[in-house]
Amino acid sequence: MGWQVRDRMVMEAAVRQEKSNIQATMTENGASPPGEEARHGGCILVVTGHDHPSQPVMTHAINVADRLGAKLIMIKITSSALVKERSRSLLTVLPRGGDHKKTDLFRMQAAERGVAFEKIHESGNICKIIKRLCHVVKRVEFAVIDQDLAIEEVAAASPVPVFSVVSSAGETRDSKPGHHPYTPFQGDISMKAATRKTYLAKTLVFGGLTAVLYAAVFAYADEIMHYWTKGGIYCLLPVATVFVFSYAHGSFTGNFWSALGIEGSKASASQKKAETTVSKGDAKRPDTRPRAQVNA
Amino acid sequence: MHGPVTEALQFIDLNLYSALFLIIVGFIGGLVSGFIGSGGAFVLTPGMMSLGVPGTIAVASNMCHKFPKALVGAIKRYRYGQVDIKLGLIMGVFAEIGVQVGIQVQKVILDKWGQAGSNLYVSFAFVTVLVIVGSFVMRDAVKIRKAGGESTAKPRLAARLQQIELWPMMTFKRANLRISLWFLIPVALATGMLAATIAVGGFIGVPGLMYVIGATSIVASATELVIAFVMGLGGTLIWAFYGMVDIRLTLLILAGSLFGVQLGAIGTTYVKDYMIKLVMATIMLIVAVSRFLAMPKYLNQLSLTAFGEPQVALMSQLSFYIMCFALLTGAVIILVATFKARAQEMALERAQAQSL
Repeated sequence: MGWQVRDRMVMEAAVRQEKSNIQATMTENGASPPGEEARHGGCILVVTGHDHPSQPVMTHAINVADRLGAKLIMIKITSSALVKERSRSLLTVLPRGGDHKKTDLFRMQAAERGVAFEKIHESGNICKIIKRLCHVVKRVEFAVIDQDLAIEEVAAASPVPVFSVVSSAGETRDSKPGHHPYTPFQGDISMKAATRKTYLAKTLVFGGLTAVLYAAVFAYADEIMHYWTKGGIYCLLPVATVFVFSYAHGSFTGNFWSALGIEGSKASASQKKAETTVSKGDAKRPDTRPRAQVNA
Repeated sequence: MHGPVTEALQFIDLNLYSALFLIIVGFIGGLVSGFIGSGGAFVLTPGMMSLGVPGTIAVASNMCHKFPKALVGAIKRYRYGQVDIKLGLIMGVFAEIGVQVGIQVQKVILDKWGQAGSNLYVSFAFVTVLVIVGSFVMRDAVKIRKAGGESTAKPRLAARLQQIELWPMMTFKRANLRISLWFLIPVALATGMLAATIAVGGFIGVPGLMYVIGATSIVASATELVIAFVMGLGGTLIWAFYGMVDIRLTLLILAGSLFGVQLGAIGTTYVKDYMIKLVMATIMLIVAVSRFLAMPKYLNQLSLTAFGEPQVALMSQLSFYIMCFALLTGAVIILVATFKARAQEMALERAQAQSL
């Protein structure tokens, strides 16, 4: 038992040391004092292997952090063994330090929008780094990875959601902000296009199924009418038939409208969510503080 | 509208025209149902009869399409957070009892005054309920619209009833209300009786949920779909037991109505609360005019009036066209309101994205 306790104590000491190292690094880089996370809407990790992420990633991260009131923590990974990008291993040895202007570009853009910003240098495997940082840095909401990193492998091991940024406007790492403005709407368009394709595929599948069912009913109409109007226990046949058609045709019609982009209002959905959050928040928490009772 | 079962069954031969007619009418009926929670059925039964379908088969086939349409609409609106399943199921059970009571009332009238008497009773119920309830709902909708489109105040009757602590009290989370079961039961029974009489229980059910129980019009119209599902399933099993359901007609109507009901449900997420009341009231008042014009035929048959044959024929034809016009008007209002609000929201989204 003694060695288990000792191992646990060693591990806890290592975590405390890690925390203080990170906070020291953050303070060096002009970070907010400890506990500042509580005042913000959590933290967003931005992972890159360069001095700063590509412009679309920076713009998106800053926009989201601004909206959520979150803090940005940029993690620059200087490692010789970054995660494989698609089918190739990327062997990159990046010099420490680098051009300060490039390094501070992300910080400056974040500062313009009033978004809190810290930078951390790390080395090693990106998945392990994200995992470790999520444990040490409290309230990590999600991670955004740079465009040259493979999301599949990072996301598989990450304890928080991982996002990559799709940009269709041809922005490069060195694009100046404002020159080719990347807006979340462009990313949204890519996502919407992918979602529409899914709906279209489902529409075709269920549409085909519905067509087959209708064809079967009308091709064998005489036999079907004979049994379906027999009455008695055969009353279940029409009921079962309409349930089957409701599923197939209902799915077809639902996906049809969605594939056309005709869906419920997002504004009313988010308003409802806000009302639910407010009403849940209004619920009184039980007061469990110890209290003294005095008999006079 | 459960007629006598002893009719000789005649299933019509379908052609392309009748198939297209049923699909289109099904779409419009589904659109209205998805939006206001009911309606559409009252035009389908006479619509099928105009193709030569016997009355009982028309009613049975209509009912067999109603419950799957209501199910699909309810699922869609549930995803938008509008359906209170508990409220819908409890009211559905009592509404089914109301349907059976309504059938018995119809049987008594049929035995005493025959088919003409039964038809007159149905038309009279149509006109009375639709005019009274429709006017009330229209007045409320106009008042809210003039006040800027938002109404958070609960109706006075509903507020009073909710304050009465009469066991068993029931809480409905989604509808956000707490009320005694004894106040739910009459509304549910009336819904079922009206469904049995004029085939549209929602014309009492939705206003009842809004003004007596105190649900919002969005929740009331969405929850009504659950009630319609329960009633429709129960009624269909009875009709199918007697072999009255023409599954071909049902499936053709369903082909159009499932498109419409989803679109109607989507529309409710874009429009303000009062728009549902406005559409419902508009349809109810126009249909009331339609049924009023159908009454002279039955009054003549009962020898209570002596209108000329050509006038009666003209009024009967006008009655049918006005009923179709009611549905079309409702559909146009829904589509215009939905796509207008949607276009505004998309323009706002684009403007916000570009400002970032």
